[in-house]
Parts: sequence; structure tokens; C-alpha cells
Amino acid sequence: MNLRVAEGESFAIVGASGSGKTTLLGLLAGLDVPTAGSIRLDGQPLESMDEEARAAIRRRLVGFVFQSFHLLPALTAEENVMLPLELEGDNGARERAHAALESVGLGARRRHYPAQLSGGEQQRVALARAFVHRPRILFADEPTGNLDQHTGEHIGDLLFEMNRHHATTLILVTHDARLAARCARSAELHEGRLGVPA
Amino acid sequence: MNVFRLALRTLRREWHLVELRTLAASLVLAVIALGVVATLSTRIERGILASAAELIGGDLGVSAPAPLPEPMLRSARADGLAATRGASFRSVAFVGERSQLLDVLATDGVYPLRGTLEVRGADGRDRTARGPARGEVFLDHRAMVGLGIQVGQTIQIGGRDLHVAAELVRQPDGGELFALAPRALMNLDDASEAGLLSLGSRARHRLLVAGPPAAVATWRARVESGALPQGGELITPEKMQERMRTAFDRASAFLRLTALLSALLAGVAIALASARYARRKAAEVALLRALGTPRRRVAALLVTTLAALALPAAALGMAIALGLAQGAWYFARQLFDNIPTTLPLGPAFAAAAMGLAVLAGFALPPLVRLAEVPPVAVFRESMQRRVRRFDVLYLVPLVTAIALVWVQSDSAKLAGILAASLAGVAVVAALLSALLLVIARRVAPGAHPALRLGLAALARRRGLSLVQATALSLGLCALLLLAVIAPSLLDGWRRELPVDTPNWFALNLQDDQRDEFARSLEHMGATRTNMMPLAVGKLTAINGKPIDSIAFADGEAKDSADRQLRLSWSAELPPSNQVVEGRWPGPSPERAEVSVDTSWRDRFHLKLGDTLSFEVGEGTLDARVGSVRQVDWSSFRVNFFLLLDPAHAGELPHTWLTSFYLPRGHADELAKISREYGNLSLIDVDALLDRVREIVDRVGSAVRWVLGFSLLAGALVLAAALAASAQERRKEAALLRTLGATRAQLRAAAACEFALLGWVAGLTAALGATGAGLWLGKAVFRIEHFVPPLWPLVGAAALAALVVMAIGLFGTRRVLRTSPMALLREG
Repeated sequence: MNLRVAEGESFAIVGASGSGKTTLLGLLAGLDVPTAGSIRLDGQPLESMDEEARAAIRRRLVGFVFQSFHLLPALTAEENVMLPLELEGDNGARERAHAALESVGLGARRRHYPAQLSGGEQQRVALARAFVHRPRILFADEPTGNLDQHTGEHIGDLLFEMNRHHATTLILVTHDARLAARCARSAELHEGRLGVPA
Repeated sequence: MNVFRLALRTLRREWHLVELRTLAASLVLAVIALGVVATLSTRIERGILASAAELIGGDLGVSAPAPLPEPMLRSARADGLAATRGASFRSVAFVGERSQLLDVLATDGVYPLRGTLEVRGADGRDRTARGPARGEVFLDHRAMVGLGIQVGQTIQIGGRDLHVAAELVRQPDGGELFALAPRALMNLDDASEAGLLSLGSRARHRLLVAGPPAAVATWRARVESGALPQGGELITPEKMQERMRTAFDRASAFLRLTALLSALLAGVAIALASARYARRKAAEVALLRALGTPRRRVAALLVTTLAALALPAAALGMAIALGLAQGAWYFARQLFDNIPTTLPLGPAFAAAAMGLAVLAGFALPPLVRLAEVPPVAVFRESMQRRVRRFDVLYLVPLVTAIALVWVQSDSAKLAGILAASLAGVAVVAALLSALLLVIARRVAPGAHPALRLGLAALARRRGLSLVQATALSLGLCALLLLAVIAPSLLDGWRRELPVDTPNWFALNLQDDQRDEFARSLEHMGATRTNMMPLAVGKLTAINGKPIDSIAFADGEAKDSADRQLRLSWSAELPPSNQVVEGRWPGPSPERAEVSVDTSWRDRFHLKLGDTLSFEVGEGTLDARVGSVRQVDWSSFRVNFFLLLDPAHAGELPHTWLTSFYLPRGHADELAKISREYGNLSLIDVDALLDRVREIVDRVGSAVRWVLGFSLLAGALVLAAALAASAQERRKEAALLRTLGATRAQLRAAAACEFALLGWVAGLTAALGATGAGLWLGKAVFRIEHFVPPLWPLVGAAALAALVVMAIGLFGTRRVLRTSPMALLREG
């Protein structure tokens, strides 16, 4: 396949379960390397980098949102959001995390643990974490997959609003046709090939 | 489906879970540690008892003023025991014009059943022997010198001519220190025919038995329950002469201490693993409840699953423990040469039961309570945590821990001190780590990135960090107690018997012989000479009430009151004595004062101010109880139950008792002196000293063996404790890797985290071990001036901290390899 996503663009990958959407996302984000072919992220060839170099790129450029949120249960909402900043050695991590939580409407619940939050709230915390270090590219893997329709729509709104606000490139994997339709471009993955969705 | 099959199926499905495997491994380890230590301890204790049996010449005995009834002998043989008969009495031996009072033991040809009888023939060679044949006698060196004869000559005892077949070198002798006269060993039939055992001869008859422990116990029970003849008493290895008893008591306290500490180590691991397993099960229980499973069935399922895991694990641990104990015994056998001890199975079963009890105590309460997780929790994880109200079930682990300490230690004091020390360690560790976490929060923002991440990781897992630091501190403290404190206590014990410990006692010295005798000793090279007056008297009344009219509930008290008493006096409080009540009188109190030993206070229920009346020779003395002393009977000094003040007792008829150290090889010179002072009795305690030193060495070797296993168990338990957070760590690492953390960052953070944990644990453990060591040394082992070895402790604590860091880092290797892709795959 050949795929190019321009800076600032939003791109959706749709497809049936098991079609390889998540694998593709992992490859694009540099979590894994392809056995053949080439992937460039911000102009840099990922397949020729070792894991450490790819980690550095991720730290600098990339944000993630997962289907099952992946918040650390032992951390408060605020501490979860602080993680990417701590990795960068940011001295104002707490303040920035607080501000990020305010921006998703959870400033008042920053001391709560994930188990004390609803699914929608947990995904909002995950969104705050994804954007807190101002990444240039955001990878979202089924961000509304674990949420009801209403909450899912709300999270979708928030995702696109933050994306716009931060002028982030967005690559989104989803089942949800309506969410995919909100992206500037989308493609369907079927038997290892990308095509225009039906 | 029935609960049992469902439980088995659950177990099979969950076997891959780290928690479950950790739980099973901890239980196996716990049972191994407990089992090996307990089996070895039991064997060693049996070995020590057997070694005590060597001292009395059999496993058990009965002595009585009259010949022991034939049925008693028959019943022993019927129980499968070997038996030997004998009698001890005093008699005078003659050679021409010379005579010598002897302590004679008459035995049959089977004697001794345990231990060795060592004699030296005319050729000067030592050999082991049995009781002398008809017409023969063995004499000890003093008797030979006293009578001026050599092996091969003839002496006369009780009118019979006896051939001196050998010199008596060593005999199982009951460790009696103040045997006043030289010794002789003759044939029982000769003694009987010579009329030496007739009524009025004041002979003490005895029957010694030996055989398998169970048979000895059966026979003992029968004898104790009524077969004991009038005036008869049991001769048991435990009822040793005071000094030996202290040695044996200390020896078994050491072994119990090591067993107890390894049990506690194992308990820590089980507690950690089971708490984790219970946490893991909460979601599953919520699901089962949501699917309509009744609460009782859920509880039954959880309990059965745990049992299905625990029983095979305990059995496996038991089997390995027995194998290891057998292997260890194979190598340690030389410690107890000639003492056959079979592999005891009891301790391994007890260890398995104890392991199961610990598991039940720590794992069941949270699991059973899980049954109350509301079905709605399946939707909301936080509801799983609601089951936290106080419940009597949560007392089970506490009771289990206390019971474990109690059962293992068999000594309230030892258990109490250990429990209090470890509780102190837990509190200090928790406080220190809480403090560290507070500092972590303050310091983290400005710190080096690795330190910041490490501190943040510690602070993130607040609860787990506290639990880990506390568990590590407890584990390390137990290890330090075993590795540093126990050997150093043993050293302290060994130092109590330095090379120049007084090895001779001289009795019966008269006032006018004192100075000259002291000069002679000095001339010979004797050192540490100490003389104490000795008066022999009787207790006649307590608080004016004649002894005969007092009804003693306790037979021992009556015996003590009837016996002749050894009284002494001193202006100074003698060394190895400590006043625990009242005060030491000083040289001249207004009224006569007596200071009593604590055992006397307890036996006669005495209190300060009571009056004791004594009869000494023609005179009497009423003395007020002015102080109570704790006497260290293991000190090998001359000690007395009763000490009077010199101002009032000085005029009582008395002789002098002297103790001194004389290097070996002066026996002939001493014998010469003893002939010059016809009234003098010399007692050689070298053999007894050798015995005690031997016991210290054996215990030392045994403790080293046990320590090896405990250290191994301890290290594995520590690793298990650190693994408790592995799952959280792995998930966290995967997320951090996804967010762009480098391996170096994660490794540095883990190193900081574990180093901090290690130092908190090491510091607390070193403090705890020092405190517990001081306390144990003073209160349990009564080792004077025990100083815990500071530098080894600090070194060991530092090493422990490094080991914690190393094990921690080693444990994160897999975590660091976790692919960030794993997160996406999880969904």
C-alpha cells in the first residue's frame, strides 16, 4: 500500500475486525517496524531506526488515544496526564496537566483515580494526556469504541476540537462510520489493501 | 457442575496468572523453609538430647534408694528397650596401709547404653570399654594417685580383692560437678556379693534404658504414672546439672529462633502474594455474581480453588523439604558422630500444616469477603473496593501470625521479643517510607530526570511502595538477625568460656591452710584463683514457722528444704550475679541478711523482709531476705543459691571453696598437693567445660547450616516480594514506552526506585536487628555484655540494599523488553 498523510490533515482508517487496522496504526506510530517497505514519520525513516530512536520521535512528536483508555490505575487523573511531561523532564508538569484537564472539563476531578471516573471521563483524561505535550501527530485507536453513542459523540467532538485547536495531524482507526466521516480523508483496510470506503 | 470440578477448571485456566504462580511458589517455599529448618532443628535437638543421653549413659533412667523392681526392667525390655542396672555408693578402698574414699559406680556388663566409657590400659593406650568384668575395677587418675598404684595392681573394696584392669578416663557421669571423691567403676554382682548394696549402705540403685524415641516415651509415661518406687526419681537428659542445662536451653533457643525467622520470612511472601491474588479475583467475582451465582457458591468456589492450589503445593514443599533435610543431614552428619537419628517426618507435616494455616490466614479473609462484591461492580471497578468494612475475619491473619510465632518458638519470651521487634521494624519502615514519599513529592520536580521518574514511580504506587518497603524491611531484618546477630550471640556465648575459665575446684580447705594453698597454686602457675567460704547447714524455719510444719505443694521445694544447704557470704556482689529485688547489703548490715536466688524465691514464695532460719553446725542464724539475685548458672564460677552477709555469717563453722584455672598437664602436682592436704578434695571440670564448648560448636555449625537454607529462602522470598509489583510495572512500562520513554530512562528510574526502597529497608532492618539482638542477648540468651557487631550490620544492610536494587533491576529486564505494541493489542 501507499499512504501519505499531510501535516495538519485528519485521516481515518476503517475496516472489519482483524483487517489489520491496529497493526497499521502501530507501524505508522513507530511502535513496531515493518518486515518490508518504508514508513517515514515527519520525514524520518522509521524502519531504519532502533527502538530507542523511535521512542525519542514518539516522545517529541506523537500523542496516543486508546480504545480502553490505558490510564494507570494507581495514578490520579492529574498524575496520568503528567506522564508525558515527566518523561520530557518538564518542571511545570503539574500546572500544565491541571490546565489540560481544565480544557477537557475535568479540572475539578483531577485528584480522582481512574476507577472513580466514568468511561467518558476516563477517555477525556486520556485526551488531555494525549495533547498535554503538544504533539504534532495524534494516533487514535477506536477512541469511542468503549463508549455509548452519546458519550462517544461528545468525545468525538472534543477530539476534533482539540485537534483543530492544536493544529495536530490526526490518524484515526475506527469502526464508527460517522466518526470517520468527520475526518478530511478516510480509507478502508481490506485484505491488506487500502481502498476508498464504500 | 460441582464446585470441586469448577474449582479445578478455574485453577487450570488461571495457572498462567503470575499471582497464582507466585502464591503457589511462596507456599512451596514457605513449606520448604519451615520444613527444612524444623526437620533439621528437630534432628539437631535430638542429636543434642542424644548427646545429653551420653552424659547419663542412657536415654532415660530411674534411681531409687532400694533395688528397682524386676517388673520395671521387664516392662522396659518388653517395650523394646535396652536396659542396664547399676548402683552408686561410697566406699573406702585399701592398698596396704593406704586408703582412699571413693565414689563407686557398680554396673553390669552392658553399661553404658549411650556415650562411651573410655579407659586407659597398662600400655598407656586409650580404648572404649563396657562395665568391668567380675573381679575387675576401673579407677580414675585421682584414685590411682591417692592410693599410689598403677594399672595391673590389686585393691580391696568391701573386703574383696579387685584387679585394677584400667584407668578410668571418661565415663557417662551425669555431669555431676561436685562429686567429692575420686571415682571407681566395679562390677554390680561383685558389689552385691560384697554386701556393699545391703540396706543401710545408702547405695542409690538405678536402671537406665535406651531405644527408639517412641518406646522411651511410652516407658517414661508408664513410669511417671505410678510405677516409680518410693523415693525414686527419673534421670532424664533434660534434668541435667545446671550448667549443662543452660547450654542445652540456649542451644534449642538458637535453633527455634532460626526456624521462627524463616517461618516469618515465608509468611511475608504468602501475605503479599495472596493479597495480590484477591485483588485480581475481584473482577471475576463481580462477573460471577452478575451471572447469577449465589454468594455462598462463589465463596465455596474461591475456597475450593485455593485449596486445590494449596494442597499439592504444600505436599510438594514437604517432599522437597524432606529431601533437602536428608541431603543436609548427609553432609552435617559429622556433627553428631555415632548418634543415629532417623529422619523425623513430623516437622515436615507440621511445616506443611503451618504453611496452609498461613495461607488460609492471609488469603481466605479477602477472598471470602470477595463474595460480597455487588454484581453491579461488573460495570464499575471502583465498587469492587467497597468491601472494606471491618470484619472479624480480618483478625485471622493476625491470629495466624501470632500462633505461628507461638508454635515455632515454644517460648513466650523469645516470641514476644521477636514479635515486638518486628512490629517495631514494620512501624519504622512504614513511617520512613511515608516520609520518603512526602519528600519524593517535594523533591521530584527539581530533581534529575531519572531520580524524578523513580521518585514519581514510588509516589505513584504509594500503597504498594509502603507494603513493599515494610515487607522488605521485615525480611531483611529476619535475615540480618540470622546472618549477623545469631553468630555474634554464639560468639558471645563462646567468649563466656575463655581458655582460662576456672577448670579446677578445691573443696574443704581450712582457714589456716588458705594462704599456703594459694601460694602453692600460684607456684604451679594457676590463675584466676577465687576463694569463697562454704558453710553446710539446714533450713529450719521460714518466718518462724518450722520447716516440718509447712506443707509444700511442690515436691521439689520439699526436697530442697530437706537437703543440706551450701551457704556462703561475701561483701561484694559476686560476678555473674545481679540483684533484681531489694539491694545488696554491704559489709555490715544491722541485722543478718540473706540474698536468695530467684529460683529459691519462686520455690518457697519468698518476699523481701521474710526471715529464714538456718542451723549450721551447733549454731543457728536468723536472716532477713534483703535481696533477690538472678544468677547466671552457666558462668562456671562458684555460685550459691543463698548468700549471707559476712558480718553475721563470718563466725559460722566453714571451710573454703576455691576455683582456679590450671593449664592441663599439672595433674600429678595437684595430686601431690592433695596428698599434702589430706582433707582437700580437688575437682576437675575440664571435661565438663569441654562438653559445653563442644555444644557451643555443634550449635554453631547447626546454625550455620540452617542459616544457609534460611538465606536461600529469604532471598527467594525477597524476590517474590519485589515481583509483587511486576504486573503493574509491565503495564506502566509499556505505556511509558508508547509515550516515548527510552530504556535508559526506565532503567535509571527503576534503579532509583529500588535503591530508595533498598536503603529504607536496609536501614530499618539494621536498626531493628540491632535492637532485637541486644534484647535477645540480654533477656533470652543472657549473654553478658553482648554488643551487636556494628560494622558487619551496617555492611550487611548496605549489601542488602544493593541486592534489593540488583534483584529489582533484574526483575525489570522483562519489563524493559515489553513491546509498546502490547498496549494496542490489548485494545
